[in-house]
Amino acid sequence: MASSSQFKQLEKLGNGTYATVYKGLNKTTGVYVALKEVKLDSEEGTPSTAVREISLMKELKHENIVRLYDVIHTENKLTLVFEFMDNDLKKYMDSRIVGNTPYGFEMSLVKYFEWQLLQGVAFCHENRILHRDLKPQNLLINNKGQLKLGDFGLARAFGIPVNTFSSEVVTLWYRAPDVLMGSRTYSTSIDIWSCGCILAEMITGRPLFPGTNDEEQLKLIFETMGTSSERTWPGISNLPKYNAQQPQHLPKDLGALLQTQTREKMDLALVDLLYGLLQLNPDRRLSAKQALNHPWFAEYYQH
Amino acid sequence: MCDAKALRVLFKSPVTDDMIRFLTNTTLRVIPCAKETKSAYPSPPASPSRSSKRPLPSLMTFITRLVRYTNVYTSTLLTATCYLHKLQKILPKDAHGLPSTSHRIFLACLILSAKFHNDSSPQNRHWAEYTDGVFCLEDVNLMERQLLQLLNWDLRIEEEALYDSLEPLLEPIKHDLERSRKIMARNQYHQRNISVSSSTSTLVGTPSIQSLKSLPYLPKLPSLSRLSSWSSTSTPKTLSNKLTQMDASHVYSHNDYSTATLV
Repeated sequence: MASSSQFKQLEKLGNGTYATVYKGLNKTTGVYVALKEVKLDSEEGTPSTAVREISLMKELKHENIVRLYDVIHTENKLTLVFEFMDNDLKKYMDSRIVGNTPYGFEMSLVKYFEWQLLQGVAFCHENRILHRDLKPQNLLINNKGQLKLGDFGLARAFGIPVNTFSSEVVTLWYRAPDVLMGSRTYSTSIDIWSCGCILAEMITGRPLFPGTNDEEQLKLIFETMGTSSERTWPGISNLPKYNAQQPQHLPKDLGALLQTQTREKMDLALVDLLYGLLQLNPDRRLSAKQALNHPWFAEYYQH
Repeated sequence: MCDAKALRVLFKSPVTDDMIRFLTNTTLRVIPCAKETKSAYPSPPASPSRSSKRPLPSLMTFITRLVRYTNVYTSTLLTATCYLHKLQKILPKDAHGLPSTSHRIFLACLILSAKFHNDSSPQNRHWAEYTDGVFCLEDVNLMERQLLQLLNWDLRIEEEALYDSLEPLLEPIKHDLERSRKIMARNQYHQRNISVSSSTSTLVGTPSIQSLKSLPYLPKLPSLSRLSSWSSTSTPKTLSNKLTQMDASHVYSHNDYSTATLV
């Protein structure tokens, strides 16, 4: 177990949901780290977010998941020592806005990032962990072009029959329609929807479904992807917030829609992958493993 | 498969006296604890520093109260058993505790089970209140931190560990499930014979549905509405009385997990 004197605290990197993150220097090894400091509120005890983040990340060793090196736990403060990353995907995208116009990434970079994102997600799912808060802010990148999943504060183990899954998970823009309609029986497909939203956002530089509340979020999704019925999504009418009076929409041509917002070529394989990730019916969404085997990624797995 | 089904049945059933007895015994086995006020020599009363602490209730009473006050889910409560077993393996063989150690161990395991397994769980301030003054907030925070360190933050639980830890509670359910399966199979066989002998085609298609309806296969379990009935029907006093009166060999009542028609 490390002690806090081992690290020199440098500049502040940001405020997380329940913590402040600093850059740190390991004085013995000379290696930079990210120090995530959680102020302990004595009334709450150790926050459940920290309890989960630590216990789940401790064993998640993968090149596309930020490594948790150590934990320093004192009476007033809990410090998580993470692998240092240069940037996050949100800041990196923001840095590319010219004037008021966002620009997406070159297609090769989109593909490389999405590939790494899906690798990290596939590893989580293999280890029966749901991330439940995938969004550009939580995807960390470094100068080598590596992308890693971070912030497991909302993550959750699945598989053993324990109860109470909350539908109040995932940042609104990246939240799947089944979860928006109050599903509590979601599984790995919850993360896949987010991967689809992030893919589209990397292409155009704009969030795909930037809703301001639950209702608007669903409306935006249905307007683009079309509305579902019992026929295309058996069980939809049993979801707590299913609205039978929902105005009906036909699906739009997602490829054409995104093509208007990028100079890069939207090829058919990419559009097909997007549809696979953004299936309204969670049972029809691709798994992370399936997505990695999609023809769009052929150049990575055909060697 | 049978374990998996039995575990789901167990987790969906209300908290029973047998579960509390099981948890009590499991906790007591983690570490030998000194008995309170059983010292051969008289010792002075405790220092007055930590204000008005209540006398220590028996572990079973303590657990019973926690369960009643928190309406904790059966799964959260029973999963704490896995942490108790982990702890038992970690602690040195010659370790022994104070009279309150087993209470602390149980509470800390339950708190971490709730924080790890549920999307919303009580704060430590609430847990301290649920102990009826046995522990203060600082005590609760300390025991939680110590347990996290002892377990090295390793709170993940595999389903196999649940089968092992909860074996005594699962065994009777598996037995019941097996029995209802046999009864159903027999009835299906019986029905099939009838339909064949009467050679009506209409019966052939229905026997399985018929038998499912008439047989208590997978019981309709008392749902989460149990929570209200639990607190309204048993005060801690009557419950602990009931607990102490229970026959030790009476580990599990079969009726709890299957519909009445089964027996």
